[in-house]
Amino acid sequence: MDVALSEDQQMLLDMTRRFVGDRSPIGAVRKQADTGSSFDRAVWKEAAQLGWVALFVPEEHGGIAESSDGVIDAAIVAEELGRVVYSGPFISTCVAAAAIANAGTPAQQALWLPPLANGEALAAWCFAGKSPMAGAEPGGVRAARSGDGFMLDGTACYVEDAAIADILLVTAQSDDGIMQFLVPLDAQGVAIAPLAGLDLGRRIADVRFDGVALTADALLGEPGDAAAQAFERQLQITLALQCAETVGVTDRAFEFTMEWVRDRYAFNRPIGSFQALKHRLADHITQLEGAKAAAAHAARSVQTGAPDAAIAVSVAKSQCGRFATEIIRDCVQLHGGIGLTWEHDIHFYLRRAVSNEALFGSPAAHHERLCRLAGL
Amino acid sequence: MPNTAEAPTAERHTTEHLDTEEQRAFRLEAREVMAAGLPPRIPGQSANSFEDKELVALDRASQRKLYEGGLGGLGGIMAPKEYGGLGLDKRFEDIFIEEAYPYRLPWHYGNAHNVVIPCLLAHGTEEQKKRLLPRIFSGEDMWCQMLSEPSGGSDLAGVLTRAEKRGDTWYLNGSKVWTSGGDVSDMALCLARTDPTVRKHAGLTMFLVKMRQPGMTINPIKLVRGSTEFCQEFLDDVEVPESDVLGGVNDGWTVAMTQLAAERAGMGRGWAIGLRQAALSQYVELSPQYGEMARELGLARDSYARQLIGEAFVLDAVYDLTGKRVSAGLRNGALPPTVGAVHSLLSARSSVKRTQLLSALAGPAGVASSPDQSDAVSRIGIDRVVTHRIGGGTLETQLNLVAERHLGLPREPGSDRDIPFNQLKHNRSEKLA
Repeated sequence: MDVALSEDQQMLLDMTRRFVGDRSPIGAVRKQADTGSSFDRAVWKEAAQLGWVALFVPEEHGGIAESSDGVIDAAIVAEELGRVVYSGPFISTCVAAAAIANAGTPAQQALWLPPLANGEALAAWCFAGKSPMAGAEPGGVRAARSGDGFMLDGTACYVEDAAIADILLVTAQSDDGIMQFLVPLDAQGVAIAPLAGLDLGRRIADVRFDGVALTADALLGEPGDAAAQAFERQLQITLALQCAETVGVTDRAFEFTMEWVRDRYAFNRPIGSFQALKHRLADHITQLEGAKAAAAHAARSVQTGAPDAAIAVSVAKSQCGRFATEIIRDCVQLHGGIGLTWEHDIHFYLRRAVSNEALFGSPAAHHERLCRLAGL
Repeated sequence: MPNTAEAPTAERHTTEHLDTEEQRAFRLEAREVMAAGLPPRIPGQSANSFEDKELVALDRASQRKLYEGGLGGLGGIMAPKEYGGLGLDKRFEDIFIEEAYPYRLPWHYGNAHNVVIPCLLAHGTEEQKKRLLPRIFSGEDMWCQMLSEPSGGSDLAGVLTRAEKRGDTWYLNGSKVWTSGGDVSDMALCLARTDPTVRKHAGLTMFLVKMRQPGMTINPIKLVRGSTEFCQEFLDDVEVPESDVLGGVNDGWTVAMTQLAAERAGMGRGWAIGLRQAALSQYVELSPQYGEMARELGLARDSYARQLIGEAFVLDAVYDLTGKRVSAGLRNGALPPTVGAVHSLLSARSSVKRTQLLSALAGPAGVASSPDQSDAVSRIGIDRVVTHRIGGGTLETQLNLVAERHLGLPREPGSDRDIPFNQLKHNRSEKLA
């Protein structure tokens, strides 16, 4: 989060923290993991009323896009969601709404934006393949023209929230360049294969497209350059929000670890007085401050369409991805034995951090992306 | 801390459009005085090495020209008028920095500007301020700091150099080390022990010492790179008049705290005023230097090399963005003052990491260079040999600062705080004088 919040943004932060504290604290993800249940749709609908997705939806379709700072505001929400390891489909639904608001026909917008904004409908984004750049570029699905419509084939990997979604946003490669589509879940030939996710609050699946026939009105925006730009924009929004969430996850885990090292005594001293621990914590707060700076800059650059937006999100992803994992992993160590128990919350935080590091492009993929952006 | 001048960029930032009439007049005056008197900025030139004696002389002359031209000299813009300064606010110093961009400022006065002036203003008597500050602004006195000793540096309150008073004069005996520019300076802030029978922090006094006088022997120290910017001094009955005690007798630790805080603040914001621009680009830019190095080594398509380069891009960008975040947070109060120590620590960690990445990239070319190889590649090897973070507070001291001041964690229990200094244990080789 930025160090310079407006009054409205401070209110949004306070409201979000209160809401998730009341309705979806860290205990919610534990309960899901223990009972095998999915996330709570009722909570999502209440959250939608607070404007979480509406940030990306224009007023004429029931949103508040004109009166908000879209990605910057959504990053404030995402950071709060990270602090409780929230399990709802926030990022995927926001990105789909932004994509439809950006390039949808009047009919597509009228059909999907109101229900996405008010929480009635959920969305998932299918695009990743299995290459080393998986999650940072399209690769899993191919589209071909077929009569007046299109045909989709292939497998989109690591798709969040596909099983609970009402609509799939699909980015596919074709002979005409990148194409994007809106595909209903019940389309013939769509099959969802849920994966066992490390993050117990996320539902990740492979989505198979087996000769899925689409009519012309399923196309979202113009194929080719326009779609490639739209894809890049969607990826940037996803990464900005994912990094903000990762910052929230790390900030909260670091916070309760600091309480622990002050309260826990050994050898007649708080364990936080030992240099062997203090020096590690000093390094952690330093890299965490770097992660906050990078994530805040990414959200700002993406929102304003700054010339460095593509660079900013990859920088943030590398910093937040690597150091969240490193910091929280060491926080587990600092907790001693209790940190290894199911009963302690910290594993939910570490699972989210590790999962976020790997999804939507690993740090290695983003290092490669930065080289390409530098013309190397 | 940037140590060398960067090339001036075309899209240099100015805030000229914000000037009031008075500020506009100051800007035009600065422009004229600088054009007439300052040498040009030369990319890659050392900012303050203290080794190039011609450069030191040039800086003395530049400081004098700025002062005579009515710009106050480096450090004089915000100092009160009664002490030879201009008594203007920060906005005027920013204008000065903007206008100085094409030129070399007298960077060897950085020590005075960052550390000595704040200490004199905070702890000096009226007489001291009126006598000493104008001599800094006018280029007459160059200052250094005599703090560390051969017996230790991080445990600063453990200094052994003794000061004894006979009549109206103090006599200093002992040795100081790691003094930047000791051999070219005129004056020094010198911390010495005035009472060894009380606990260590309570028996120290800060002295204002003339560097060129009988009893003072100054020897440059040759470092691993071959450079000699630091000195060791031997003090043999060096005389200091009673009027040159800064702060109270036995209250030197209070002055030292001001001094160290000023030094850290200076290092945090960039030591050499004018090397830092008033505002750099607000966007993250990817430096071409890493790609050029990879091409030179034939590694531009190598996937491991590209990982190293990508990581270096991230390292630089995060350092830059964190600096901006910390400055903004300090300005608007969103971050506590202690966050400055976090930025210093990031600086230390980042520079070591950058060297690691570049040395992995260079491989054998970094340890055995050929004549046609670029400096950037051949420098990596020796960078790797002198990565260690000692100056301006060791890495371990910085880690303690962040942990204790910023995170509020308890100090290590110390056994040295309540015992008279002369009963403390010392290095095996040393006997208390």
